Amino acid sequence: MTVTAILPGGGGQGSRRASLRRNFWRGVGRVLRRKPSRILGVAIVALFAAMALVGPMLYPAHLPRDDNALYAAPSLAHPFGTDFEGTDVLALVVTGARYVILTGLVTAVITVALGTVLGLLAGFHRGRWDTVLMRITDLQLTIPGLPLLLVLSTVWKFQGPLEMGLVLGLLGWGGIARAVRSQTLSLRERGFIEAARGLGLSTTHIIGRELLPSMAPYIAMNMLIAVTGAIYAQVGLFFLGVLPFDSNNWGVMLNLAVFGGGALTSAAALPYLLAPLLAILLLTLGIVLIVDAMDEIFNPRLREE
Amino acid sequence: MTLIAVRGAPRVNPVVRRLAGHVVRGLVMIWVVTTISFVIIRNIPGNPVLGQYETLIEKGMSPDEAQRATAALYGFLPTGSLWEQYTGYMKALLHLDLGQSLSTPGTEVVTLLGSAAKWTVLPVLGGTLLSFVLGVTLGVYAGIKRSGKLGDLLSISGSLLHGVPQYVIGLLVLAIFTTLWPILPAGGPVDVEFVPGFNAGYLASLIQHATLPVLTYALASYGGWVLAMKSSVATVLGDDFILAAELRGLSRGVLFRYIARNAILPLFTILALSLGMLFGGAIFIERIFNYPGLGLLLVNSIGARDYALMGGTFLVTTVAIIIANIAADLLYAVIDPRVRTGGTA
Amino acid sequence: MITISHRAGETPRPDSHSASGLIAGPGATTAPGVRVRDLTVVYKTPLGELPALGGVSLTIDPGTITGIVGESGSGKSTLALSLLNAVQPPGRIAGGSVEIDGLGNVVDLHGDRLRQARGRHLGYVFQAAQNSLNPLKTVGKQLLDLGRSHGVEDRRALVRDAKSLLERMGLDGARVLDSHQHELSGGMRQRVGIMLALVLNAQLVILDEPTTALDMITQATILRIIREVHKERGLTTLMVTHDIGVAAEVTDRLAVMYGGRVVEHGPTMEVLGAPSHPYTQGLIRAIPRLSGDIEQARALPGRPPTLGTLPASGCVFQERCPLRMDICATVEPPPVIEDGRTVACHAVERSRHTAQREEHP
Repeated sequence: MTVTAILPGGGGQGSRRASLRRNFWRGVGRVLRRKPSRILGVAIVALFAAMALVGPMLYPAHLPRDDNALYAAPSLAHPFGTDFEGTDVLALVVTGARYVILTGLVTAVITVALGTVLGLLAGFHRGRWDTVLMRITDLQLTIPGLPLLLVLSTVWKFQGPLEMGLVLGLLGWGGIARAVRSQTLSLRERGFIEAARGLGLSTTHIIGRELLPSMAPYIAMNMLIAVTGAIYAQVGLFFLGVLPFDSNNWGVMLNLAVFGGGALTSAAALPYLLAPLLAILLLTLGIVLIVDAMDEIFNPRLREE
Repeated sequence: MTLIAVRGAPRVNPVVRRLAGHVVRGLVMIWVVTTISFVIIRNIPGNPVLGQYETLIEKGMSPDEAQRATAALYGFLPTGSLWEQYTGYMKALLHLDLGQSLSTPGTEVVTLLGSAAKWTVLPVLGGTLLSFVLGVTLGVYAGIKRSGKLGDLLSISGSLLHGVPQYVIGLLVLAIFTTLWPILPAGGPVDVEFVPGFNAGYLASLIQHATLPVLTYALASYGGWVLAMKSSVATVLGDDFILAAELRGLSRGVLFRYIARNAILPLFTILALSLGMLFGGAIFIERIFNYPGLGLLLVNSIGARDYALMGGTFLVTTVAIIIANIAADLLYAVIDPRVRTGGTA
Repeated sequence: MITISHRAGETPRPDSHSASGLIAGPGATTAPGVRVRDLTVVYKTPLGELPALGGVSLTIDPGTITGIVGESGSGKSTLALSLLNAVQPPGRIAGGSVEIDGLGNVVDLHGDRLRQARGRHLGYVFQAAQNSLNPLKTVGKQLLDLGRSHGVEDRRALVRDAKSLLERMGLDGARVLDSHQHELSGGMRQRVGIMLALVLNAQLVILDEPTTALDMITQATILRIIREVHKERGLTTLMVTHDIGVAAEVTDRLAVMYGGRVVEHGPTMEVLGAPSHPYTQGLIRAIPRLSGDIEQARALPGRPPTLGTLPASGCVFQERCPLRMDICATVEPPPVIEDGRTVACHAVERSRHTAQREEHP
């Protein structure tokens, strides 16, 4: 970004920004088109987003059970068979998506907000602030997250996706804080901040209008990763059975399939186990493909030569 | 950050200085973790410590005896001020007294941890070693042939394996090798009919049972190595000295070694983090394969509300990660001459 | 090979040496000449392939030190890399040839033959600011790697040669061979770079900004070393630099590059003393003199072209040129050789014709 683009009130500023944005989207389009698999990634993630939004509306509040078809094999009526109560597995996966994805979003918002603010503070002020914040970050990164979650689950009954997301978010901001700090420092080294200071811009302006926009894509990428991380952690906790089963979600399905339903003792019951696994695999694939594309947009060094 | 410290005091051996810094930070970390454990145990709904104390008194024990018995279980006194309880807990820890297990009455937590640790450490190390060798080798290839089809395939499969949580890999491995194609045992560390010791039957059974957990560890960490090595190689390839070596006409073999050795260096710091993550993953993998390591111990202690055992396991896991961090950093210092001699270049 | 000395009527500086003088010297028979013909290098960009070198022709006489000067982006480093057929992707040599005595056309070399040529016949010295050494290995180990790669059997002799080269350059050979890169200063690294370029007896040495990022005193030392080693070993040396002062101090001949073309080439003293091309004139006018008014130094108007901003047709310098004519926009000026000097400029060509007509009416 050039210095002229950041002068406040400049006549050409708006159009300049707009054209920058247009160039950016053109770049995105080009990167996506270069490998069709990346469009697939976008499609997959869109599918899951749709599942979380409208999934539960497609089915009745209480999914129908069919006592005559316990652990039914996959069929046209039940593409992934049925569970131990005769409930359609596909319906369980679709309706279970909202809980996990909502948690993921809450976690990501908290992680990104906390991580960005702390990382910016540390990188911008350096000195004592930096030392203290980075020590806390180190601590947060060293204490193993999953064991801590398990231990916490004995005193805190993470009820509902929001509370769950809050806890995961409070435990997961370290990585982003560190990354944002190093980005800030590298922008600083390039004379970015000094130049803006020299123009008499305020700190809030420099952070809000200059640093954040240039880091936005990077933060967005981390947010995407944080969403998946939170989804996995939470499904994992349900799978281990340390959380109360207050609703249907993928983790509960996994737990019941492995430890309750005996999906592993008979091949016929396998779809019940495989369906949520497949959902997680598919979501991962989608995210991986998108991150791969983002990587190429923001990290030109990895671009093909 | 450490390098600056090194520059400030050139007389002290930089490796020793690094180590000292790490030990101090590690101790602070351990203190924080133990405090967390204390706070959690102290705040568990229903106060099990006080509950235990009252139960013992109801059973006819004298208050003094009940005090001591409870303290032996939890590591701190059931009555008294918060500060007294806290210092008591810390003092016991200094003597490596983690209290007694509730779920296996009469057994010291330390004993349980000791016997569980070997079931975690060996598979984790085995799996890590396997995936490290495989991942780094393929990662070099993926880094050099970034534009090729195979390079693409390696990166995407690496990202996928890296992105998927360990329990998904574990469950798939379990479903494939024990249900769909049942060739390996599903759970436990060893078949009970063999006498423990150095005999063929026991060892074979041991290996059979360890195969799936080790495979899962390896698959779960393999992707990370491929990706890390790939991006490290990409960075090194952009370095001036590689072009310089090429222009001096160095042979492909030498060039390859220059690239690989420089690229692998930063991976040793990731090694520490990945060991930490694997300990986290051990919880899932041991639960899935019913493998009696630290992870399963933690899950079971939570299920049984065995708080002393829970705190102990958590502490040991954290300490293991801190030690792994220090070890990896020292290893780095030994391999990289720039750190070894205190240079900052 | 016989070279015509272009120094007629000029007193040579005490430290310089004419090419003809070297022919008699030891090893002069091995100093190779270089003939670059119509060399075109293109870079692949999102806008298509853009030329970094547009049909460059340049003859480097055996035994000379030739300087290549130009602003950044003028293609001088690309030209230097082309001599080793080492243009880095996304660039590639799209046409032309680089004939080097004893090697043939380097553009046609591939694989092991190309690799053997690099290091053995062609020495390349990097910019001092770049780290041209493997940070994990001592200089000595890297020397042995070099020897092994080029099938050197006598390792002791190799180490001995390296030590004597380093000592020749004023370093403690044994200590340097035992050091890692980070233990050496910039000037020491640069001497190590020169040693590695010469230790296998390469006779054509290419230096890419060898003194950039060095302090003035070290810079002077390195330049002196380059001159002396060049003379002692009877080399053909090519030095890329953006510093006209450095070029004036060291080189016999000077090629001025602009926008991927050699716009002027000739004996250094003549090119700098009586520049013909308007770009060279502007360049020299832009240098402030130690004695004299700083006001007299005038910066060249406009900006140097980048790959994408080169004019589609005509002369690459037309947009900044004070002597622009109509023809400059349409026809690229061909390089014209006269009295051992090469200039590619329509205006120079026209004034020369007028002068000739006036002399012979």
